Amino acid sequence: MLNPATRRFDAEWTLSELLAAAPRAVLQEALAALGGASLLETDGRTVLGPDPTAKARRMPLGSEIEPLGYLAADTGDAPTLRAVAALVQLALRAEQRYRMAAALHQEAVHADYQALQEKHAALQESEARYKALAERLQERVQEQVKVIETAQRQLYQAEKLASVGQLAAGVAHEINTPIGFIKSNLTTAQSYLDQISGYRHALKADARSAWNTLALDEVLADFAALLRESHDGATRIARIVADLKGFSRVDNPEQEIADVNEILRGVCQVAASQVRERAEVVLELSPLPSLRCHAARLGQTFLNLLLNAAQAMERRGAIRIATEHRDGLIRIRFADDGKGIPPDVLPRVFDPFFTTKDVGQGTGLGLTVCSDVVKMHGGRIGVESAPGRGATFTIELPVRS
Amino acid sequence: MKGVMGEKFTIHDSRFTIHDSRVTSHELMSDFDETARRLTVKLVYYGPALSGKTTNLMRLHDLLQPEARGELMTLETQGDRTLFFDLLPLGFRAPSGLLVKLKLFTVPGQVAHDGTRKAVLSRADGVVFVADSQRTQGVNNAEAFQNLADNAARVGLDFDRLPLAVQFNKRDLPEIYSEAEIRERWSATPWPLFLASALNGDGVRETFLALLARVYADLDRLYALRTDHGLDEPAFIRAAADAGPRRQAC
Repeated sequence: MLNPATRRFDAEWTLSELLAAAPRAVLQEALAALGGASLLETDGRTVLGPDPTAKARRMPLGSEIEPLGYLAADTGDAPTLRAVAALVQLALRAEQRYRMAAALHQEAVHADYQALQEKHAALQESEARYKALAERLQERVQEQVKVIETAQRQLYQAEKLASVGQLAAGVAHEINTPIGFIKSNLTTAQSYLDQISGYRHALKADARSAWNTLALDEVLADFAALLRESHDGATRIARIVADLKGFSRVDNPEQEIADVNEILRGVCQVAASQVRERAEVVLELSPLPSLRCHAARLGQTFLNLLLNAAQAMERRGAIRIATEHRDGLIRIRFADDGKGIPPDVLPRVFDPFFTTKDVGQGTGLGLTVCSDVVKMHGGRIGVESAPGRGATFTIELPVRS
Repeated sequence: MKGVMGEKFTIHDSRFTIHDSRVTSHELMSDFDETARRLTVKLVYYGPALSGKTTNLMRLHDLLQPEARGELMTLETQGDRTLFFDLLPLGFRAPSGLLVKLKLFTVPGQVAHDGTRKAVLSRADGVVFVADSQRTQGVNNAEAFQNLADNAARVGLDFDRLPLAVQFNKRDLPEIYSEAEIRERWSATPWPLFLASALNGDGVRETFLALLARVYADLDRLYALRTDHGLDEPAFIRAAADAGPRRQAC
C-alpha cells in the first residue's frame, strides 16, 4: 500500500538514521571538546567519533523504552558525561521529531495522492464506459436508420406494385371471363366444323359440284386452322393474365414453393411487348429444384433486371437469361450486350436513390429493391460490366431444405 | 443498531460501505521482531477536535506505572491543537524475556487533517475513541466516529474486528449528555463505554485498561503470549499499567 521508498513514521529509528542528516562535523567537534566522547549504535558499532576502548564508560541514549544507542567515553567524570548525553539526546530528539513528522507527512501525502489516483482511474473508467455507450448508441441509431430506409424502400415499391397489381388483377379478372367463353366457343365451333365436313359426303351431284366450285374443302381446312390459331391465341392471353395476377400478389408476405424457371418464363411473357423490339431474349434454363420463396417479389426483381437490360440496348441485341443449380445455390444470370455500365457508376448501382436516368424516368430504387429482395432470400446479387461490352447481373439464391 | 452518537447516525449506515477494494487483509501494526525479541503494539486515540485525546496521553503518562515509560513526545501544536500526533511509549518485559512496546498515538482531530489522521491510524492494533460529552458536540462526535470507520476501511483495518473502546470525556463540564442518554444510545454497540474527565484523570486509566484487554486477545491469538511467553491477560495489563518500579517505591 505504501510506496516502498516511504519510511514508516511509526517504525523504530536507528541512531545512524537520525544522524544521517545532522551536522556530524559540528557534533563531533563538540563531543571532542566535551571530553572526547563517541556515539555508538545499539550493537556497538561506532557511528560518530573515535572507537572507544574496552574500558570506556557507556551512557544509554534515547527517550523511548529501549536505548537508541550509547554515548561512550574513556575520560571525563560521570556528571559531565550525563550532561553531554542529555545534550546529545536533545539534539537526537529534535531530529527524531522532525523525521517522524516528515515521514508521516510523506505517508499522508502519498495516501492522498493514491486516493486521487484511484478517483482519477475511476473517472477515466466511467468516462470510457460512457464513451462506449455513446458509440454503441450511434451504431444502434445507424442500424435503425438502415432498417427504416429498407422498410421505406420496400413500402414504396410495394405500394407501386400494389397499385399496378390491383389494376392488373382487375383487368385480369375482367379479361378472364370473355377469354373463357371465347375459348369455349372456339372449341364448339371446331366441332361444328367437323359436323359440316361430315355433311359433305351426303351431297348429290349438283350440290357437290357447287361445293367444289366454291372450294369449300379448302375453306373448311382453313377455317379449322383459323379456329385453332384463335384458340392458341386465347390460351396465350389466358397465360399472360395468369402471370399478371402473379405480380398482383407482391404484397402477400407468405412464402410459397415455386420454380424459378417458371417465374422467369412468366416474366418474359409479361415483358415481351416492351422487350421484343429492343432485344431477343434467349432462355438457357437448366432444371432447378423448387424453391421456397416470395415468388412475386422474385418475379418483380427479374422483371426489373430484364427491363434494365432492354433499356441498355443502343441497337437491337440479345439478352441471355441462364439458370443453373450447383453447390446448393440457384444461380440466375442476366447477360446483355448493351452499352454497359461506366466504372464510376458500377459500384453505386445498388445504392438507394442512385439513378443515371433523367428526372422522372426512374426513382433510383429499382436495383436497390432487387438487392433487398435477394438479401431477403439469403442470397447475393452482383454485377460485372465494361463500357460497350454489356452487363451481367448474377443472382445466387441458397436452396434451403 | 440504534443511533450511537448524534442525530443522523447509525452504525450500519450505507456510508460505512468499504470503498477501498485494494485492501484485503487486516494490516496490523503489531510487529513481532524475532531477533530483537520485541513486540511493538500500536494504539491510537481517535476522536473529534478538542475532545481531549492529548490530555488522555498526558494523564496516562502520570497515572501509569509500567516497567518502562518513555517521554511524551508532542509534535507541533497550534494553539494547543495537535497538528501531527502525540506519542507516548510504554514497555515491559514478559517472563520469556520478550520486550513488549506499546506506542500510544493521538491523531489530529481537525477535519482538515484527514490525510495525517489516516496515516496515524494505519497499522493500529487498537483504538480508543474519545468523544466530547458536551451537547453541542453530538454531530462532531458522530462525524468523527464515521470518519474512524471510513478511514479504518481505507487503511485496511477490519472495523468490525478492530479492538475499540469508547470514552465520553469532559464529564466535568456543564451542558453535557447525561450518562443515561449516552448508555441508552450505546447499549446496542459491542464496544465498552467509559465516562471520563481526562483533565482530572478520571476514567482515563479504565478506558486504557479495557482497550488493553481487547488488544491482548488479538495478540495472544497471533503470538501465543500466554503459552510461549508466560504472559496471561491480567499479567499483561498489570505489566503495562502498574507493575513498574515507581509503584513499588510508593
